[in-house]
Amino acid sequence: MHTKMKAAAVLGVVTLALAGCTSAAPATGGGSGVKQDDEAVLEVWTRTTPGSASEAATIRQVEAFTEATGYKAEVTAIFDDFETKLAQRAGQKDLPDIVLNDVSQLGTMQTQGILREIDLKDVENAKDLSPQALEAGQAVDGKTYGIPYSAQANALYIRSDWLQKLGLEAPTNWDEMLEVATAFTQSDPDGNGQADTYGLAVPGSTKRGYASWYFSNFLWSAGGDFITGSGDEWLPSMSSDEAVEATTWFRDLQCTAGVIQPGAVSMDTPPTNETFESGVTGMYVTGPYMMPRFDKVLGADKYEVVPMPEGPKDDSVLAEGGTVYLMAGSENEKGQTAFADWYISPEAQKFGMEGTEAFAIQLPVNEKVDIADVRDDARWQTFATAYKESGRYAPTIPSWTPVRQMSADTINALLADCSLDVEEELTKLDGKLTAELLTQGILKQ
Amino acid sequence: MTIHAADAATAADAPKAAAGTIVSPPPARRRRRHRTQGQWWIPWAFLMPALLLFLVFRYIPMVQAIQMSVENVRPYLGNEFVGAQNYQVILADPAFRDATINTVILAVGQTVGCLLLGFLLALLLEGQTRKLSFIRSAAFLPVVVPMAVVAELWRIMYYPSADGFLNNIIGVFGLGPSEYINSPDSAMWSVMLMGIWRGGPYDMMIILAGLAGIDRGLYEAATVDGANRWQRIVHVTLPGLRPVFTILFILAAIRGFRVFTEVFLMTNGGPNGATEVVMTLLYKLGLEQGKLGVGSAGAVLLFLATLVLTLVVQLITRRKKDA
Repeated sequence: MHTKMKAAAVLGVVTLALAGCTSAAPATGGGSGVKQDDEAVLEVWTRTTPGSASEAATIRQVEAFTEATGYKAEVTAIFDDFETKLAQRAGQKDLPDIVLNDVSQLGTMQTQGILREIDLKDVENAKDLSPQALEAGQAVDGKTYGIPYSAQANALYIRSDWLQKLGLEAPTNWDEMLEVATAFTQSDPDGNGQADTYGLAVPGSTKRGYASWYFSNFLWSAGGDFITGSGDEWLPSMSSDEAVEATTWFRDLQCTAGVIQPGAVSMDTPPTNETFESGVTGMYVTGPYMMPRFDKVLGADKYEVVPMPEGPKDDSVLAEGGTVYLMAGSENEKGQTAFADWYISPEAQKFGMEGTEAFAIQLPVNEKVDIADVRDDARWQTFATAYKESGRYAPTIPSWTPVRQMSADTINALLADCSLDVEEELTKLDGKLTAELLTQGILKQ
Repeated sequence: MTIHAADAATAADAPKAAAGTIVSPPPARRRRRHRTQGQWWIPWAFLMPALLLFLVFRYIPMVQAIQMSVENVRPYLGNEFVGAQNYQVILADPAFRDATINTVILAVGQTVGCLLLGFLLALLLEGQTRKLSFIRSAAFLPVVVPMAVVAELWRIMYYPSADGFLNNIIGVFGLGPSEYINSPDSAMWSVMLMGIWRGGPYDMMIILAGLAGIDRGLYEAATVDGANRWQRIVHVTLPGLRPVFTILFILAAIRGFRVFTEVFLMTNGGPNGATEVVMTLLYKLGLEQGKLGVGSAGAVLLFLATLVLTLVVQLITRRKKDA
């Protein structure tokens, strides 16, 4: 009995020790001056759900890259905690070679020192990039650290069948938007005899800063801004007259008109998407990536896509998109550069826009590419025009996330508590933003 | 370790022995205990797999967190030592202070609520019949269901318009409609209520086990002395459950301090920071905004608070036992 027990104990320890040994990763070198190898496989990380249609689209695109240039590459899709996982790899000094991630991450990644500076002379196709995209690839020091490869801008999704039933037109300015929203809320557009519809879908949660992300469309078209400045000199501007006007109008949608869906302040995008596709809300400001889904669930005949209604100043909308980041310490820098160059080439841009379910390229950033050549869907043209003429990226500062988070907290609070004073809250927000800009070392003195 | 377990077992037997049934340890057991004393390393060898896992996944990360809390964390460029700066930042942050207050409110509310609900359920569902065991299992279900599912269910039930699930029910009594998690006034108790619904049955199970340990003779004696049902609960059941309540209190308090998932999924600290707890704040600071050093400093403070609380509770109970 005892010898058996001893044997079992010893066996357990040995097994564990062995398991520990085999799982220990070999340390690899990194940092500058890495020995170069053109044959090395490029490790490409993309922030998308593993197993999703958009992962498949990225893999297809990267395979086409290998075929066109001969450089080998392998795609890894990661969605949850992408930045955390990247930080872990940074800690091991073994970064992936290429990261395909949101353009707004540029400042954060550049400050962490994990990006390689890009010499635009090496990227031949960069001369055809749209000016906004080119600017969005630059950090506060004016140098280029990323090549935006796909763009998207927001537009207004609206239930065309509801409009028809109520005899209304799609809104073109804020006053009309409020009218339509009120009619959608009060006039029973779905005809079921119940007051269960609302005008506008709003993801008003603080999660990932959604409230601020959504509100930026309204803030900018009113001429307001979260922070103003350039380079490394910025000032908060949420208590400016324009910002106060925009915030008051947006907040009155909730507090006075009551046209926003119930529970908006605790909703991020997934439940908000559901309110639009299940007929709870009639308008929704979002990007082109929602079209395949809404076509399938709601039906393409039930809604249309129109340009964002014009605000007091203009019709600015939030522009976003994916960027190719070349990571530091790669052993195949030539391959990295070739990847960025190929991704924005006219062939690649066209190739990536093909498909029906998900696209590697939403809107092209290469000005030589006309979206109408690939897609005959007029709705895409609406998004393309919105991007080209009114698209506006979030400013590139060392870390945009805290600014977005702080403003989301305030917008969320104002939507949740109608007794708060708008100006007072925005002044408070400006105070917090000042402290944050100071921490980041970009406060204009 | 086996020796300690044996000691604990005899210690636990002691009150029973006092109550009338005297059990003397069989001589064979004593002999065996003597023999195992020679090979001190066997228990350690059995513990080794678990200890190794704890070392890699618990203790080393804990030490690293303490180290990171005094550094400006830059994974690729290398960390810089900044001394107590991270602690200064987090302690001076009004959001941290508010989050601490919210955490304490939520922890106290949930702990008390769970204990009350658990005690009530345990009294109702104590017994041997098969029907009761079925109902007990049913009541225990919320504990088994993953938190993410529970949060999503409650979010649907809390739908704030008049035709929402819970609003429909309270509408029957002429109340509501309430905004639940969407208003700063009601968000906190809404999250708390969900926590109690989920945590109560867990407490119930442990209290049931405690109830089984109370000598039936005491109830009979109390009945003979003329005690009514209420008096029996107060003077027999509650004192008999004291050790159970202590352990439940410690567990619930620790769980309360670390509350994260339900808040993160339901409100993410909103609206207007009404439900921001320490863990959601640390998540935002450390992982979303990339201020890992400041986040670690907050985590260390949270750890210290939990440690102090556990020690205080243990000290109090030990003193009571001695007295």
